[in-house]
Amino acid sequence: MRALLRGIPLVALALALFLVLPVSVSAAPAPAPAPADLPPYSPAYQPQGTDERGLWMWADEDERELRDSKFVINDPALQSYVASVLCRAVGQDRCRGVRIYLVRVAAFNANMSPNGTMQVWSGLLLRVRSEAELAAILGHEFAHFELRHSLAGFRKARTMTDIAAWTAVLGQYGATVQQAAIGSIYQFSREQEKQADLLSLKYAIQSPFSAQAAAHVWQRLMDEADATALGRKQRSRRYERVTFFSTHPTPLDRATYLADLSADAAAKPEGAESYSAALAKWLPEFLSDQLKLNDFGGTEYLLSSLAGEHWTAPLLFARAELYRQRGNPRDLVAAADFYRSALAADPELAEGWRGLGLCLMRDRQQAEGAAALKNYIRLRPQAADISMLQTMTGE
Amino acid sequence: MRYAFGYAILCLLLGCLSPSAMAQEKSAVRQGFALDPNSTKILLFRPKVTAGSQSTAGMFEPNADWTQQARDNLDLALAEAQQRLGNEIVGSVDVVGQQAESLAEYQSLFGIVAQSVIEFQFFPGNRLPTKKRKDAAFDWTLGPGVSALAAHSGARYGLFIFTEDQFGSTGRKIFQVFAAMGGVGITSGQHKGFAGLVDLNSGDLLWLNADLQMGGDVRTMEGARRRVAQLLEDFPGSTVALAAAAQ
Repeated sequence: MRALLRGIPLVALALALFLVLPVSVSAAPAPAPAPADLPPYSPAYQPQGTDERGLWMWADEDERELRDSKFVINDPALQSYVASVLCRAVGQDRCRGVRIYLVRVAAFNANMSPNGTMQVWSGLLLRVRSEAELAAILGHEFAHFELRHSLAGFRKARTMTDIAAWTAVLGQYGATVQQAAIGSIYQFSREQEKQADLLSLKYAIQSPFSAQAAAHVWQRLMDEADATALGRKQRSRRYERVTFFSTHPTPLDRATYLADLSADAAAKPEGAESYSAALAKWLPEFLSDQLKLNDFGGTEYLLSSLAGEHWTAPLLFARAELYRQRGNPRDLVAAADFYRSALAADPELAEGWRGLGLCLMRDRQQAEGAAALKNYIRLRPQAADISMLQTMTGE
Repeated sequence: MRYAFGYAILCLLLGCLSPSAMAQEKSAVRQGFALDPNSTKILLFRPKVTAGSQSTAGMFEPNADWTQQARDNLDLALAEAQQRLGNEIVGSVDVVGQQAESLAEYQSLFGIVAQSVIEFQFFPGNRLPTKKRKDAAFDWTLGPGVSALAAHSGARYGLFIFTEDQFGSTGRKIFQVFAAMGGVGITSGQHKGFAGLVDLNSGDLLWLNADLQMGGDVRTMEGARRRVAQLLEDFPGSTVALAAAAQ
């Protein structure tokens, strides 16, 4: 291939020079998108131009699928609660352009499509501690929407991959230019994330919520990642720098600049009580999803951080299940204690009796174990595992 | 250059050894299947249609206008084609609640099953052990639960259609020429599609046709007719009539 290209060195050189130029000025802002008169959240906004219309069409198709997905949490109360937090965060006029889907995935994430589809994952709802923290994240996603980040990112990726493709054909000095072009796509994405963080902070300062909350989320996420790493005997990644393919700034960066910039903002309420009240119904479900991740260190950290000073019955039960799942003899002793504390707080917690019974029987305390299991059988006579447990209790 | 020469030799060798091994199979019909003459009502699931262009580097750029044109044209062409076969096509009307969920589930399930057929039965180099025998049965099913979908529409069969068209942009075509000068082969444009027929009583996959190199510009009515004729190639019933009509 190279041999043939040497036959047309002048053309190649001219093109290479022409193509290198846009890379060297890539720090300058990309050409502005076609001027749209209205922001994308305005009522019945119609996308403008081929690219934006194409992306919206794609997003519309995806939303058709998402709407009927079994992963979407079908709870109008929780749904309207999250929507009300968004509306208070970004303002009534803005939030009407968004459709929120709560998706049952046990990981910390939320995302925003160019057409106003916002996904909030259950793992995020579990980890967020107050209305102010939720508002900071919803505000960040909304900022992506308001700033048309998908569109700008799409155009950036197209331009840069085009440049990378041409340099691959031209050969000479190709690798360097290619690397710069591809790297700039990720750098652009990181800049967009920071922009969204900053705009979210602006919303927060005007909203009834505390602006300092945003930094807390990232701080805790780093602590949880450390706990997970420790549990899995891996090293902490907290202080790692951004890598070539990072799409986001590091959590440490985000926590630092968000804390710095919000330090002087007026102190406002966090709304922690109202948040935990709104989430109470779903907490046991989300905790049970978390337990299935097989992440002892991270889950233990998460539970302690959710409990703070006060361990409630669902948290104690989840902690007991976590220890019973690991199942060392010492874990079963600890689990039995946690089950007993949970049952002291809520004697009707049927699954607590079940776990306690199984722990005790495994720990060679047959009589006590059988008694606990009988409580479960009494409270849940229709449960699927009744026959199996009855053989264990000898009925 | 050395590599290109080596590659050419390799192709020649492979070609001599097994001319058919390189070809991907495109369609299959369930053994012993014939359309039920008493009930030929076919439920058409919302076709998945995407059209757009391919950037110089090969990125897909969705195009809303082309997609809408393709969707309208394909709907019309499909109705025409089935009418010629004597079948009645009914659309999957907007359902709500539980029905919508189960419709969405079966649509996803069909996508996965079809993809599995293409990967593990149509592609000879990658066949599952049970699909390796020469007369291996075309035996795939979505399960009998699918009959719940039939109950509302009164249809006997379900038809799924998927097409994706990426038209090479001008930049891509120029790039292709330059790359060819350098001895590198680059394709411009990609047109793939598949269609499948499911028995709405048993859930069995009755017929599947998949082609990763389809013809016909779906943005025009003529092209859509040609595409539909290709998608419905070997459709149980009559292929001759369709082929003749597309000419």
